[in-house]
Amino acid sequence: MPAPARGVVIKKLFFGAVGFGLIMLDNYIVNYPVWDLGFFGGGTLIAIIAVIHVYVAHFAVGGGLFLVLTEMKGYRENSADILEYTRRHTKFFLLVTMVFGAITGVGIWFAISLLNPAATSILVHNFVFGWATEWVFFLVEIVSLFIYFYTFGKMNKQDHLRIGWLYFGFGWLSLFVINGIISFMLTPGKWLSSGNFWDGFFNPSFWPSLFFRTFMAFMLAGLFGFITSSVVKEKTLRNSLEKYCARWLLIPFLFLLASAWWYVSSLPGPQKLMILKLSPEIPPLVKIFLIISPLIFISGIFMSIRMSDSVKKGVTISLFVMGILYIGSFEWIREAGRRPYIIYGSIYSNSVSEKDMDFMINNGILKTSRWVLTKKIDEQNQVRSGREIFRLMCISCHSAGGFMNDIKAATGKYSQYGMESMLNGMGKVNEFMPPFPGTNAEKKALAAYLVNELNGKKEELRSEYSITPTEPKIPLFDPAKNKYVLLAWSGKGMHFISDNNQFFSISQPGNTIYAQLIKRGKTPEIVTGNLRISYRIEEGFNTPSSNSDFWQYSKSFYGRRINDNEGFSGRKTTGDMVFDESLMAFSAVDLPVIPYRDDGSFVPFPVVYVEARDTGTGELLCSTGVSVPVSTEMGCRNCHGGNWGIKNITGLSDETSLDILKTHDRLNRTNLESLSGKGNPRMCSNCHAGEQTGTGEKSKHLNLSAAIHGFHANYIAADDPDPCSNCHPSSGFTKSYRGIHSRIGLDCTNCHGKMEDHALSLLVSERKEGKGEAERLMKHLRPRAVDNVKQIEPRKAWVNQPDCLNCHTGFNPPDTDQSPPNVWTKDKRSLYSSRSDEVGIMCPACHGISHAEYPATNIFGNNRDNFQPLQYQKNAYPIGANKNCKLCHTMDKTEEIHHPNMLAIFRNIH
Amino acid sequence: MDIAALIPSPDTIPVHWVWFKVLLIITFMAHILLMNIMLGSAIIAFFSGLNRFPERSTISLQKEISEKTTFVIAFTINFGVAPLLFLQVLYGNFFYTSSILMAVFWISVIFILIIAYYSAYIYKFKFEELAFARVYFIGLTVLLLTITAFFYTNNMTMMLFPASWTQYFDRPSGTVLNLSEPTLLPRFIHFVTASVAISGLFIAITWQKKKKSGSADADLNVKTGMKIFFYATLFQVLAGIWFFISLPKDIMLLFMGKDTTGTMVFLAGLIAAGLSLIFGYKNKVRPAAFSVLVTVFFMVIMRDMVRTAFLKPYFSIEKLKVIYQYSPMIVFFASLIIGIAAVIYMIKCVHSIKT
Repeated sequence: MPAPARGVVIKKLFFGAVGFGLIMLDNYIVNYPVWDLGFFGGGTLIAIIAVIHVYVAHFAVGGGLFLVLTEMKGYRENSADILEYTRRHTKFFLLVTMVFGAITGVGIWFAISLLNPAATSILVHNFVFGWATEWVFFLVEIVSLFIYFYTFGKMNKQDHLRIGWLYFGFGWLSLFVINGIISFMLTPGKWLSSGNFWDGFFNPSFWPSLFFRTFMAFMLAGLFGFITSSVVKEKTLRNSLEKYCARWLLIPFLFLLASAWWYVSSLPGPQKLMILKLSPEIPPLVKIFLIISPLIFISGIFMSIRMSDSVKKGVTISLFVMGILYIGSFEWIREAGRRPYIIYGSIYSNSVSEKDMDFMINNGILKTSRWVLTKKIDEQNQVRSGREIFRLMCISCHSAGGFMNDIKAATGKYSQYGMESMLNGMGKVNEFMPPFPGTNAEKKALAAYLVNELNGKKEELRSEYSITPTEPKIPLFDPAKNKYVLLAWSGKGMHFISDNNQFFSISQPGNTIYAQLIKRGKTPEIVTGNLRISYRIEEGFNTPSSNSDFWQYSKSFYGRRINDNEGFSGRKTTGDMVFDESLMAFSAVDLPVIPYRDDGSFVPFPVVYVEARDTGTGELLCSTGVSVPVSTEMGCRNCHGGNWGIKNITGLSDETSLDILKTHDRLNRTNLESLSGKGNPRMCSNCHAGEQTGTGEKSKHLNLSAAIHGFHANYIAADDPDPCSNCHPSSGFTKSYRGIHSRIGLDCTNCHGKMEDHALSLLVSERKEGKGEAERLMKHLRPRAVDNVKQIEPRKAWVNQPDCLNCHTGFNPPDTDQSPPNVWTKDKRSLYSSRSDEVGIMCPACHGISHAEYPATNIFGNNRDNFQPLQYQKNAYPIGANKNCKLCHTMDKTEEIHHPNMLAIFRNIH
Repeated sequence: MDIAALIPSPDTIPVHWVWFKVLLIITFMAHILLMNIMLGSAIIAFFSGLNRFPERSTISLQKEISEKTTFVIAFTINFGVAPLLFLQVLYGNFFYTSSILMAVFWISVIFILIIAYYSAYIYKFKFEELAFARVYFIGLTVLLLTITAFFYTNNMTMMLFPASWTQYFDRPSGTVLNLSEPTLLPRFIHFVTASVAISGLFIAITWQKKKKSGSADADLNVKTGMKIFFYATLFQVLAGIWFFISLPKDIMLLFMGKDTTGTMVFLAGLIAAGLSLIFGYKNKVRPAAFSVLVTVFFMVIMRDMVRTAFLKPYFSIEKLKVIYQYSPMIVFFASLIIGIAAVIYMIKCVHSIKT
């Protein structure tokens, strides 16, 4: 290799890259032991020392200029009093800055090296000569301040002022250097790729931060000036000094606000987004900053006008307190803005380097950490390993039961499952925390430690509630006499509602029923004219509004009060169905049904009885029944905490509901909790408009299905075998999925695909419609069925669904039990629930509704789901199955009129 | 347990390690001399303050110490920052680890120093008003500074001895001290004794200057200072021997012929120490001061060699990876020159008052 030209060598020596990575000698990544602070947590210590230090340190810089200019003022006005004040103020200044300021500065250094040694080491090794330069400035500061104070009144004016200027100059230069390193941590800029000292030092927020801090320093000089001027005995002098200090406070304050604006606008996108939108920690701090800003201004004005001394003393003390809150909130916002990193884009808050993250996820925390006793997790050491993982990865920010980021408070709500899900989603939707840098086994171990040991949770006992199946009264059908067959079905296999409406509602209570009346004969007819089809809900479900508070809050949900015991569209629990020509079927939409009977029992499958009568004669042509599934047994509490809301069996408790709102508010900066507190709870679809009944105006927000699946897919572990049942009513009493497909062992994913694919198809569709929010949820989701997101076919909820014919090709027995990915029904009309055969009989009329296809099983009574097959055929198979054509045709048939393969014998014997 | 596996991997450095080594030694020497004067003077002031009926010269001695201690504390801390920085650059992976192991004590140094410092200020500003009670304040300062020194000795020895680090697993809450280390106590005593000796000498130098301006107690205090210096140094020789023989045998032998440089440095240090004793005995302030500086210089070098020897099984700074970038160092040296110039200018301004 030819030797590089001399110029190149020199350039490299001067501007070359400083290393910013660890030298990898082996597979160890987590290098340092962790100081187990337990109760106190790392954050508390840093916060105390840092806030005190920055307060005094900024005063030390601004106060330098204050000293010189005040001394000059003394000379200018030829006032011995002002000079004496300056001397006394210098003594105060010396005692505060030299002792408290200097030692707490070293204290921050000590504290960060104890709590984040890896990051401190990188700062020290990269910026060693920055620190060293700052040390020189610090030395000159000490010398000059001592000389300034001890020669006050002894040295000639010019020399003394020069020494004051030197003090201020070197003090400000210290700020200049430290500012480079602090702002580097928030915005390392080009350093991330070059590793060059100067790229890191003069980073994107260097200048605005420098100006901001400089003005802050001047302002604090005025603020501290009030303290010393308030003890001046002579009134005229005191008043004039207070006016003087007020100018110090107020003039820089205006520049401070301008530079704050510059500061924020100079931030790169992700950091700005974290501060302005994403961080759950920042809003209260911003509030403090915004409240204190005008208060400081007003206090400054107060101090410059004539007021009684006691008022001024009070204002001085409150200004002192406000000052510390002011600078404290700023520093905290800055620190929170660089989450989840300690050096943005390079080192996470838990000291893991970004470039090592994947290696750690694959190899585990324990194997890549030097300071652990357990290297392999087994059943015996699971909790112990969890404790070690907690110490290594969490304790630098979290306390265990203390004031700062208390992990006990943050995780108290979680079950083992919820905790694992939380860890799985960490760093994804909520990028405030780093991703969990370990294996699934480590996730489980950490969860076990947090849930079982730290929070002392015991495994929950199953509810002792027992269900007595109650079968509905099925009307008799005599094939020899009865001339009609009435087929009825519900609009959805399961409709779930949240029943704690004082907090929010996910959807209105209700389900829709459909019916078709067939006149039997050699050529059967679908009867549509001279026909009145009425419905009546089973006894005990007639007054839903006395068993649910939905109606009470309906105005808040929809802007109009829905009458008690009526559905969204005005339907009551009894009434007539109307003919829908497009479907060739009768329907009654949005029936007001809830899963609670008047006797207090939980029945998520109430039956609606349907009768068909001749409108002319009033003759009863046929009657039947259909279950209208509706449940409140959603699994939100698995992660959101709380117990079941009703009798320990179902429904959302206050605790669960409130946690959902709090989480939504925290992550999206909404005010749902406060709205519900004021008696104005929201319906999810008010903002997340989609295809639901009563949905709001379409907006920039994701539709509910995309939002809720997209969000939770980030948390639910990829290895969860049955992710759907953790939320959908499936794992307890209510079985949403109870048709023949479930009986033969297929699960949700056989038709709907894996959770990630399911969510991504919805999100891709929303993104296509220009909804940027989709990106946030998609960012960390990886498709399972295809290689990349580009291959995902967009899908709208309730419109594009898996088609039965995807597997049942040509209506034949399927060759596969997995529906092909990304193949959806075209539109609403091609959904199974809206489709009919060539003669107009709708698919669910004979097969039952999706998720409860005949023959279905149901612990609340099988007859509820298989009502009509049992009524007309004395078996639970689809209508007309096993060549039972004569049910309608009154004779056997050999042609497959309704669909191919319909004359085959039902394969899956029930 | 594999001890070597506990040692964190080091980070890269931006210039050749020699730069840092030289800076470390120079700044540490400044720090240790200042620390000696800070702690030793406070000890002397405290013990002489215990006498309820002191002579006039003793009070003026204490008064003089009270005037200076706050300055010395400020500079000791300032000159502590620089070597601690360069130590972290070269040995950060050892130093951070031992600091974490004793984190509670280590962080408490900050709070201890603040109290010690304020106590010294009270001692200074209220010297007359407090009368005898001032001894409590300087006593508190002495106590707290001694505790600080003890914590430093713990950290500086624990970082050299990774085998002791396994204590962390029993006590991860930052409460480990290196008490079982045989060199801990002699090392600590060696440094505290040095403080008294050097402060004695410093008192002598201070009062010799005052003698020129005709101070009444100057002669007496010069003598007192030299007396303290002589006896403390004599004791220091014993403490040094104790420290020396407490070292692991193979490290001790390095200075007794096994390693030529080591032996030369040790011999040079011993000769300088011997001269210090002689000059101390003869009350020759300037030659004593010079020979003490030489002694301290060689002792600092020796201390560094002991550190290198302790770490040898695990680490050597020659192996640190360097990714060169010299420009920040040049800026540092430029700022140092400007800083020194500013200090010289300011001192000139002070001197101009007298003239």
